[in-house]
Amino acid sequence: MEFTNLTSKQIRQGIIDKKFTATDVVNFYLDRIKNIDPKIKAFITITNKEALAKAQEIDEKVKNGQSIGKLAGSVMAVKDIFLTKGIQTTASSQTLNGYIPQYSSTVYQRLIDQDAICIGKTNTDVFAFGASTESSGYFTTKNPWDLSKIPGGSSGGSAAATAAQLCQFALGTDTGGSIRQPASLCGVSGLKTTYGLNSRYGITAMASSFDCPGVFARNIEDIAYVTEISAGKDKFDATSVDQEVPKYSEKLGEINLKDLKIGIPKEYFSGSIDSEVKNKVMEAVEIFKKQGAEILDISLPNTDLGIAVYYILIPSEISANMARYDGIRFGQSTEGQSNIIEYYMETRGKYMEAELKRRILIGTYALSSGYYDAYYTKAAKVRTLIKNEFVDTFKKVDVILAPCSPTVAWDIGAKANDPLQMYLADVYTVCINVAGIPSIALPCGLNSQNLPVGFQIIGNFFEESKILSVAHQFQQLTDYHLETPKL
Amino acid sequence: MKIIPIIGLEVHVELKTKTKMFCNCSAEHFHIDPNTHTCPVCLGLPGALPVPNKTACQWCIKIGLSLNCTPQKNTFFERKNYFYPDLAKGYQITQLEKPFVVNGKVNIDGHDIRINRAHMEEDTGKSVHINDGGQEMTLIDYNRCGVPLVEIVSEPDIISPEMAKNYLLKIQQIIRYLGVSDADIEKGSMRCEPTVNLKIEDDGKTFYTPLVEIKNVASLTGVQNAIQFEIDRQTEEFEQTREEKSKNNKTTRGYDAVKNKTFLQREKEGSSDYRYFPEPDIPEIVFSDKDFDAIRATLPELPDQKFVRYQKDFGLNDYDANLLTQDLSFSQCFEKAISLNPTKDMSKFVANLFLGSLKTIEINIEKIIPDNFKKLFDNKNNLSSTAIKQLILDSYETGKDPLILAKEQNLFQNSDSGEIEKIAQKVISENPKAVEDYRKNPNSIGFLIGQLMKNSGGSANPSLAKEILEKLLK
Repeated sequence: MEFTNLTSKQIRQGIIDKKFTATDVVNFYLDRIKNIDPKIKAFITITNKEALAKAQEIDEKVKNGQSIGKLAGSVMAVKDIFLTKGIQTTASSQTLNGYIPQYSSTVYQRLIDQDAICIGKTNTDVFAFGASTESSGYFTTKNPWDLSKIPGGSSGGSAAATAAQLCQFALGTDTGGSIRQPASLCGVSGLKTTYGLNSRYGITAMASSFDCPGVFARNIEDIAYVTEISAGKDKFDATSVDQEVPKYSEKLGEINLKDLKIGIPKEYFSGSIDSEVKNKVMEAVEIFKKQGAEILDISLPNTDLGIAVYYILIPSEISANMARYDGIRFGQSTEGQSNIIEYYMETRGKYMEAELKRRILIGTYALSSGYYDAYYTKAAKVRTLIKNEFVDTFKKVDVILAPCSPTVAWDIGAKANDPLQMYLADVYTVCINVAGIPSIALPCGLNSQNLPVGFQIIGNFFEESKILSVAHQFQQLTDYHLETPKL
Repeated sequence: MKIIPIIGLEVHVELKTKTKMFCNCSAEHFHIDPNTHTCPVCLGLPGALPVPNKTACQWCIKIGLSLNCTPQKNTFFERKNYFYPDLAKGYQITQLEKPFVVNGKVNIDGHDIRINRAHMEEDTGKSVHINDGGQEMTLIDYNRCGVPLVEIVSEPDIISPEMAKNYLLKIQQIIRYLGVSDADIEKGSMRCEPTVNLKIEDDGKTFYTPLVEIKNVASLTGVQNAIQFEIDRQTEEFEQTREEKSKNNKTTRGYDAVKNKTFLQREKEGSSDYRYFPEPDIPEIVFSDKDFDAIRATLPELPDQKFVRYQKDFGLNDYDANLLTQDLSFSQCFEKAISLNPTKDMSKFVANLFLGSLKTIEINIEKIIPDNFKKLFDNKNNLSSTAIKQLILDSYETGKDPLILAKEQNLFQNSDSGEIEKIAQKVISENPKAVEDYRKNPNSIGFLIGQLMKNSGGSANPSLAKEILEKLLK
């Protein structure tokens, strides 16, 4: 039985109809992981036992005529910064090697409660700091389309696992593009939700005012379905938003492309953009145009400030968020020092990866007295400008369409020693995070080297329904999302 | 050389909310097994997020309003970053730029002490340093970590150790009236850090000595003594070094209560760089006038208001009104006791009982029976004041009717004038010398009254006895 072409809803129905069992599905994916993952190394931890046990539990329910969860039989891969009770969670850092959480993240728990099956924890840049998975404290994940290339990041493991069809869907987080950029580079779809739509509780914090959990899948239907289950107010996250979550999966046909005004921001198609990427994204624009959508050239002049604002504010938050990793209550620690300062320095010095230290240093500097106003305060003000620019733009257009990354996947190692180049890889994604609005990434074909190109549809606050509907209709009109890498 | 102490106090008050500041753990931590009132949030585990305790925020504003502060509408929390093992997250969530309340004042001994602010924050865990079989180690108890704290910061308007003590007593009294904390300095639910320096006028010039912050003060007397020690020490030091306050010479000194002296803890720090920034895990907290009105409506009558009312309504003097209002539960007992007849006479009568016999015992409002007080008041002319004092204590302890007790113990005074006159005649005939004295000096009647009382077995009504003696000796 080939499960990779079924949606989550179809898997569930198949199990109910007894065409196959949840155990069949899990065995199918475990088998694929066994054969394929050694090549791409998407997973840090594979949870065969737990997955099979959960499958058995679902099959048992079916056997006894009990109802099963909305995600019964859906195999999910989980970025290793989501805490999973009883299952090692490393955040791809040596600081947390061997750390077994005593509680689970809300998003993960909500999906598990609906009988989703966690098959493993995926690699990421260390604590999600990066755009390639190369800063992982364990290993670099490879792009399933070309094993010499990076998968993008930080949620590179989840994107690669989805592209290689090692799961039905995968969980990631997007702080500055960490879902959309790897989705784009791996040829899958991925949703960055409005800030506050998905709870951040139980996810190791990168930059608290930016972090957005979200889903990868090979089709928009699954993303819509999983998101309507994961999203919504969480009493454990004060920043989660208290409003009703629409049934996204039932509203995918809602938008009429003929009535749609799509803004094309010139700043996202100029400068260092690869010409093949630009052409592919413009082809996608043409498809919408043919359907009768109105295409408007727009300008988002503050785009250039995005990277600067982002790389001041996020390290500032990171520098504080990383303070708890001192090895005292959990995580790896060292022994034998004569005082507490020495202990801190040796423990954090030994186990923290270079990118972690770099961002802590930048953030500590930016928050220091004498610099705070010049950096943090100013960046916070520009943040408001960028947000307002989007809000104003959405008075003129329904959605904004742009590439996710100026290039396709690059060679492993090409930017690993050049943090600034790596930071610039986020140029098309960060402003969306700075503003806090939603954006869905989806594939729009392969370039001449057979590497995926993706684009994003950006919406106003809480307009997930709209952008998912637009993206879904694109997938109804095209087959790009059905392309798979040969592995 | 003229020396004026400049004293500011930072007072931390631990709120007795049910749960902690940012999680659902019990906020109780006194004599609780270590690390049993903890969860991912207060342990600072990966991914855990703070959710502010609404009641604690309201109580903080309540405290502020009681200290005549102005509440602020747009407020937010901030992170104060520093490393210490008992600070689980590596930062404390507190308020810097936009505290809940600002610009208050309290009057101490006729002197206004301005309050800069009262803000909301969280407590840290407790580090316990032990020696286990020769091995030094530090154990950490996180039960206290995340317990709500309100920090009340005064301006440096306090000018003597005694005023500092009275300021603390005032804050403590108000907090206890509000019922938001035990404010017990010995138990640590109220903590105080004085900052002290001196203004010295010498030779027509004015000097300010370097600021000193005093830590580990654990009692009211400690506060007073530590400040006094600092005043003396700084005076002496200034005479020797002539060092003046500058931007970077603030020091921190610990107080040793046993030796009654302060000792240097941290030398010449600039302002420590805590890298404050807005707490991104908690949205801004915005209040409306309506919110403030609702909180204001929950304020009880405060000690100063009660004090004025006791003088006005009950005709009590300053001294009595002050004593009766010092402690909320004591004043509540008093108000219950006079409730059946809240007149000035009854109030004064009961106030005397409260400040006399009842002051000596731990008083419990459940055991106050208003009727017993009224009965004693109505019979105050038939009972001696000693008898009344004894009767109120006995009836308080036993719950029995004081008039029945009086009868049982034969405490009613004899007001039968015929009977008293007989005794008076006997006393007059038996004490010719005293009678002679009385004729010379009417003030010496006391001896004859005493004799009469003695002959009556103590039961005669003294004022009636005096009246009759005077009549017979006319």
